[in-house]
Amino acid sequence: MISLTHFLFVSACLFCIGLYAIIAKRNSIMILIGIEFIINAAILNLVAFGRYDKINYSGQIFALFAIVLAAAAVAVGLAIILNVYRKYKTINPENITDLRD
Amino acid sequence: MGALSLLIFLPMIAVIGILLLPNRMGHSFKYLALLATVLQFGLAGYLYINFNGSAGAFSEVSTYQYVEQLPWIRLDLGSLGKLEVDYFLGVDGFSLPLLLLSAFVMLMAVGASWNIEKSKKGYFALLMLLNTAVMGIFCALDFFLFYVFYEVMLLPLYFLIGIWGGARREYAAIKFFIYTLFGSVFMLLVIVGLYFSVQNPNTGAHTFNMLYMMNPENYVPGSFFDFLGNANEIFGIPARMIGFIVLFVAFAIKIPIVPLHTWLPDAHVEAPTPVSIILAGILLKIGGYGVIRICLGIFPDAAADANWWLGLIGVVSIIYGALNALAQTDLKRLIAYSSVSHMGFVLLGISSLTAEGISGAMFQMLSHGFLSAALFFLVGVVYDRVHDRYIYNFRGLASIMPKYTAYVAIAFFASLGLPGFSAFIGEAFVIIGTFNAESMNTGIPRWMAIFGSLGILLSAAYFLWTLQRMFFGTTRLKGGEEWVKELKDVNIREQIILFPTLALALLLGIMPSLVFGVLNNSVLSLLDLVTPYL
Amino acid sequence: MSDLLNISPIIGSMLVVLLPFLAFLIQAILGKRSQSGNIALVSIILSTIFSLIFVFAEVWKQEPISANVSWFTIGTHTFTLGILLNNLTVLMQLIVCIIALPVHIYSKSYMKGDPGIHRYWMYLSLFCFAMLGLTISSNLLMMYIFWELVGFASYLLIGFWFTKESAVQANKKAFIINRIGDLGFLLGIASVYSMYGSLNLVELFGKDGLFYSLPASSDGWLTFTGICFFIGAMAKSAQFPLHVWLPDAMEGPTAVSSLIHAATMVAAGVFLLSTVFPLFNQTVLLTIAIIGCITALISAYFAISQTDIKKILAFSTISQLGFMVVAVGVGAWDAAMFHLATHAFFKCLLFLSAGAIIHEMAHLKEANKLDIDPQDINNMGGLKKWMPKTFILMSIASLALAGFPLTSGFLSKDAILISAFEWAAQLNGLYFLIPITLTLVSILTAFYIGRLIFKVFFGELKIKVERIHLHEANLSMLGPMIFLGICSIFLVFSWNPIAYHHSFILTGFSITYPFAEIHSLHIILPIILTISSAIAWVIGWNWYVKGKYPLNSGNKLLDISMNQGYINEFYNKIFVKSTLNLSKGLYWFDQNIVDGFVNFLATIVRNLAHFSAWIDRYIVDGLVNTIAGTAYYIGHLLRWVQNGRLQNYLGFAFTVVLIGIIYLIIK
Repeated sequence: MISLTHFLFVSACLFCIGLYAIIAKRNSIMILIGIEFIINAAILNLVAFGRYDKINYSGQIFALFAIVLAAAAVAVGLAIILNVYRKYKTINPENITDLRD
Repeated sequence: MGALSLLIFLPMIAVIGILLLPNRMGHSFKYLALLATVLQFGLAGYLYINFNGSAGAFSEVSTYQYVEQLPWIRLDLGSLGKLEVDYFLGVDGFSLPLLLLSAFVMLMAVGASWNIEKSKKGYFALLMLLNTAVMGIFCALDFFLFYVFYEVMLLPLYFLIGIWGGARREYAAIKFFIYTLFGSVFMLLVIVGLYFSVQNPNTGAHTFNMLYMMNPENYVPGSFFDFLGNANEIFGIPARMIGFIVLFVAFAIKIPIVPLHTWLPDAHVEAPTPVSIILAGILLKIGGYGVIRICLGIFPDAAADANWWLGLIGVVSIIYGALNALAQTDLKRLIAYSSVSHMGFVLLGISSLTAEGISGAMFQMLSHGFLSAALFFLVGVVYDRVHDRYIYNFRGLASIMPKYTAYVAIAFFASLGLPGFSAFIGEAFVIIGTFNAESMNTGIPRWMAIFGSLGILLSAAYFLWTLQRMFFGTTRLKGGEEWVKELKDVNIREQIILFPTLALALLLGIMPSLVFGVLNNSVLSLLDLVTPYL
Repeated sequence: MSDLLNISPIIGSMLVVLLPFLAFLIQAILGKRSQSGNIALVSIILSTIFSLIFVFAEVWKQEPISANVSWFTIGTHTFTLGILLNNLTVLMQLIVCIIALPVHIYSKSYMKGDPGIHRYWMYLSLFCFAMLGLTISSNLLMMYIFWELVGFASYLLIGFWFTKESAVQANKKAFIINRIGDLGFLLGIASVYSMYGSLNLVELFGKDGLFYSLPASSDGWLTFTGICFFIGAMAKSAQFPLHVWLPDAMEGPTAVSSLIHAATMVAAGVFLLSTVFPLFNQTVLLTIAIIGCITALISAYFAISQTDIKKILAFSTISQLGFMVVAVGVGAWDAAMFHLATHAFFKCLLFLSAGAIIHEMAHLKEANKLDIDPQDINNMGGLKKWMPKTFILMSIASLALAGFPLTSGFLSKDAILISAFEWAAQLNGLYFLIPITLTLVSILTAFYIGRLIFKVFFGELKIKVERIHLHEANLSMLGPMIFLGICSIFLVFSWNPIAYHHSFILTGFSITYPFAEIHSLHIILPIILTISSAIAWVIGWNWYVKGKYPLNSGNKLLDISMNQGYINEFYNKIFVKSTLNLSKGLYWFDQNIVDGFVNFLATIVRNLAHFSAWIDRYIVDGLVNTIAGTAYYIGHLLRWVQNGRLQNYLGFAFTVVLIGIIYLIIK
C-alpha cells in the first residue's frame, strides 16, 4: 500500500536532488532545472496532501497553479540566463560574482 | 634719524633694493652691496674721527656718544608693572673701533664675494641683513634690542653657511646655529631676570636699559639679581654669579673658548670665503665685546670674583688652540684653530682687569679682525684656483706665486706678533697686563702670563712650519703641471682687498694711539666700575 | 752750510737709523728694478759717517743724552718712543755701522748675479735699520720691537735661498728658538713694568733711577726678571742650550753670516745684558757666568772636528759669545763690550775670508763639474799658493781670535780672563772652575782655528783636477777684508799692545769692579796663554800639515764633537717630536673627545627623538590604531562569505536554515 509517507519520501528526494543541482551545478540551466525539481517536489506534496481535502480539491488546484507559475518562472529564468550569457559570455554562476562586495 | 641708525639700516636699504630688482639684473647686486658697505665704512670712519674720547662713568648716558633713544615698546602689564623697551643706541670707546672694524670687514667680504655665482640675490640680501644685525649689536644699549639683533644675526649666517658652503655645509650650519642658540636661549632667561630686578629711576617701570642695569642703585631691593646683600642662590651658587656665568657662556661660545669652540673649525672650514672672513673678523669679536660690555658691565662684582677662572680658560684656549693648529693639515682649519688661540689672548687680557690687559685685549680683537680676515681671504685665493687646501699638496709656491707668497708671509708674520704689526701690540700688552695683575691684586697670578706667552711661541711654530711646508723648497704640487697653470699670482681685485688690510694692520702696529686714543677713557671708566669689587 | 753740518746727536742718530729704513722702503717699492745695491750702500755709508761724526764723536765720554716722544697711552701710563745716547749705545751703533759698511761693499761682488739679489739688498737694509734701532732705543719696549725685527731680518736672510730645503729648515729653527728668547725678554719687560711702572732705561737705570729708589717687590721676582732677560740674550747670542740655531743659520749667504751671525746681531744679547746689567742680582750673575762658561767650552769642543768651514766659524762665534757672557756674569760687562767690539772685526774678517775661499771653491766646482761641497775643508788645502792675501788676512784674524799678542783679541780676551780670575779669587773654591775652563777654551780656540788655517792653506789641494782656476778675490771683496784686518790690530783699540786697561773702550766705560785687582795675573796669564797657544799650533801643524794625525775616525769623543753633542737630535726627539705628538694627540682629543662630546650629545638628543617618535608611533598612536583595527577585523570576520556566488549564498542560507532546524529539533 502506498502511503503518504512514500509520497513525502519521493518529494524529499526530488527536493534534495533539486537543491543539489542548485548548489553544485556549474551551469545556470541546470540550476533552473534544479529549481523545477524543487517546485515539482512541492507540487507532489500538494497533490499528496490533497487527499485530505476531498471536497474542494484545493491541493490539486494549487498544484495546477504551481505548474503554471513554474512554467512562467522557467520562461523568466531562461530569459535572465540568456541576458546573463550576453553580458558575461558564460552561464557558469561561479564566474558571475558581481554581487561580491 | 641719527648717524647710528643710518649706519645700521643702510644695508637694509640695500636689501630692499636687491630684493626688488629682478633676477636678470643679477650683476648689479654686488655693486649695490658694495655701495652700501662703502657708504657705511665712510660713515663709520667719519664717526670715528669725530669721536671725542672724554671720560665719564661707564653707566652714564653722557659717556656715550651719538646717542639715540626712542621709546619702542610700552606695555602696561598690570600687577607686573610697565614694560619698557627702548630703541637705545650709543657708542663708546669699546664699540666704536669694533664698528669701524665691522664696516671694514664687511667691505672685504663684499669684495671677496665678487665671483659668487649661486643665487646672487639671496646671497647678497642675506649678507646685508647680517651687516645690519652686526652693526646693531655693537650699537645697542638696550638689552632687548641687543638680543633682537643678536638673534637676527644667526639667521643669515645659517643660510650663508648652509647654502653657499662646502661639502659638509649642512652639518656645519646646524652645529653653528644650535651652539649659538644654546648660549643665547639661556641669555634670554637672565635678561628677563635682570628686567624684573631693575627699575628705571625716572619712571619706576622695569626696564631693559643696559646702562640702568650697570648702576647698583637701580636694582629693586630684594629682587633676584639685586646688587648688594643678595642672598638668592641656585644650586648653592649666588644668583648674580649664575647670571654672570650664563651670560659668559653665551658670549664665550662666540669668542670661542675651549671647550666650547668646536663649532668654529667646522663653520670656518665649510663656510664660503666671505663668510669665513665675517665669522673670524666680526663674529668672534661680538663674544669679546659682549664679555666686556655686558658680563663686566652688568655683573662687575661677579666678574671680579670669577676672573681667575676666566684667565685660566684664556690660557687653556691659547695653548690648546695653538697646539691644535700645529696638528692641522688643512690650511683653513689651521687658521681656524689659530683664531681660537688668538682669541684666548682676548679673554686673558679681559680677565686681568688691568688697563693694559683690557686695552691689549681690545687691540688684539681689532688686530685679529683684520688679520684673520686677511688669512682666510688668502686661503680663499689658493682654494679658488685649485680647490685644494691640504698643506702637503703644495710645496714651493714661492717660486710660482711670489706676490702671493709675500702677502702670505706678511700676514703670517703679522699674525704671529711681529713688532710693527698690530697683533704684537695686542699680545704684548695682554701679557704685560696679565703679568701686572698681581701687582694690582686683581687675582690673576703671574704664571698665567708666562703660560700665555707660550702661545706666542707656538704661533711662530705653526705659521713658520706652514710657510716652510707650503711656500718654500722646490716646487712640487699634487696637481702637477695643471696646477702650475691654474696657480696664477694674485690679481688686481685680490690685491685691492689684501693691501689695505695688511696696511691697516701695519698702521695700527706703528700708531696704536689711533685706537688707544679712542679706547683709553672707556677702559678707565670700565675699571672704575669693576675695581671696587676686587 | 755750517747749519747743515750742525746736526745734533739725537737727529744724527735718528738719521743713522732711518737711512737704512728709507733704503729698505725704496728697494721694496722698486722690487726687481733695484739690483745694484747702490741704494743700500749709499745709505749705510751715510749712516756710518753720521754715526761717527755726529753721534759717536759728540757723545763718547760725555753726558748721556736722551729724547722721547709719547707714542700712545694706556690707562694712565704713556709709552714713549725715544733715543738714548750714552757710551754703550753709541759704541754699539758705531760698531754695527763700521761692520755693516765693509759687508755691503763685499756683498756687491760676492752676491753678483744672484737671481734674488734685489731681495738681498732689501733684507740687508731692513736688518741694518733694525739693528741700529736696537742699539739706541731708550726704552725696553722699543728695544724689544727692534730685537724681534732683527730676528725677522735674520730669518729672511738665512732663508734667502728659499728653494733650498736646509735653508728654510734653518731659518724656521732660528726664528723659533729666537722666539723663546723673545718670550723671555717680553716677560722680563712685563716684570720690570709691574715692579717699577716704567720701561724707560733712563728712568730705570739712570742716576737716581727708579731701580735704585724703589725696592724690588721681592728678591724672587728680581731673580725671575734677570733670568728672563738672560733667556732673551741666550737665544740671540746663541748660548747653550739655545745655541743650536746658529750653526744651522750658516745656510744663509756668507756675507750675511759675517754681518748678522758673527758680528752684530748675535752680539745683541751681550748688549742687552750690558744695558740691563743693574737688574742682575748674584744668583742671576752666577747663572750667566755658568751658562757662558758651558757654552764657551762645548762649542769650542764642537768646533774642533767640524769639516764645514762656516760651521767651524759659527761654533767659534758661539764660544766667543760665551766669553762675553761670562764677562757679564762676573760683573765686567765693559770687558764683554770690549770683546764684542774686537770680536766683531776679526770674526767678520774670518767669515769674509771664508766667503772668498768658498767663492773660489764654488767656481772650481762649477768649472770642473765636480760633485763636492765647496765649504768642506777636507776638499781644500794649499790655498796659500793661489790666495796669499786672503791667507795673510785670515791669519791675522785667527791670531786675534786665539788672543795672540799685538792683536785686538789679545787685549779683550785677557780683559775677560783676568777679570774672571780676579772674580773667582774673591769668591774662592769652586768658582775657579770658570776661569780655568775659560783658559782651557782659549787653548782649544787656538787649536781649532789653527786646524782651519792649516787644512785650508797648507799642504796640497785635496781634490785632483786638471785645471785649477783659483785666484785672489777681486778688490771690492779684498778691500773690506783689508780694512777689517787693520781693525784686528791692537792699535785701533789701544796704544799699548800688552795692557788692556789702556784701551779706549774700557776707559770710556770706567766701571768699578766688585773685586780687587791682582797684578801678578796681568803678567802671568798672557804668557801662559801665548805659550800654550803656540804649543797647540805646533801640535796642529804636526797633525794636519805633516799628516801625523793620531786619532782614528771611530773615536767616541770625536764622534760626539762632530755631531755637535747630538743636541739637535736630542731636541728633535724630546721637544719637537713630543710637541708634535702632543699636538696630534690634542687634535685627536679635540676631534674625538671635545667635539665627540658635542656630537655625542647631538646623537643622544637624536636618539631620544627617535625613541619618542617610536613611542608616539607605536604606543600612543598604536592604541588608537588597535581599537580601530579591532573593529575592522571584527567587521571582516564574515566578509569572506560575501563572495558574489549565488550558489554559495544559497548554500549558506540553507546551512543556516538547517542549523536552525537542527537546533529546533534538539531543543
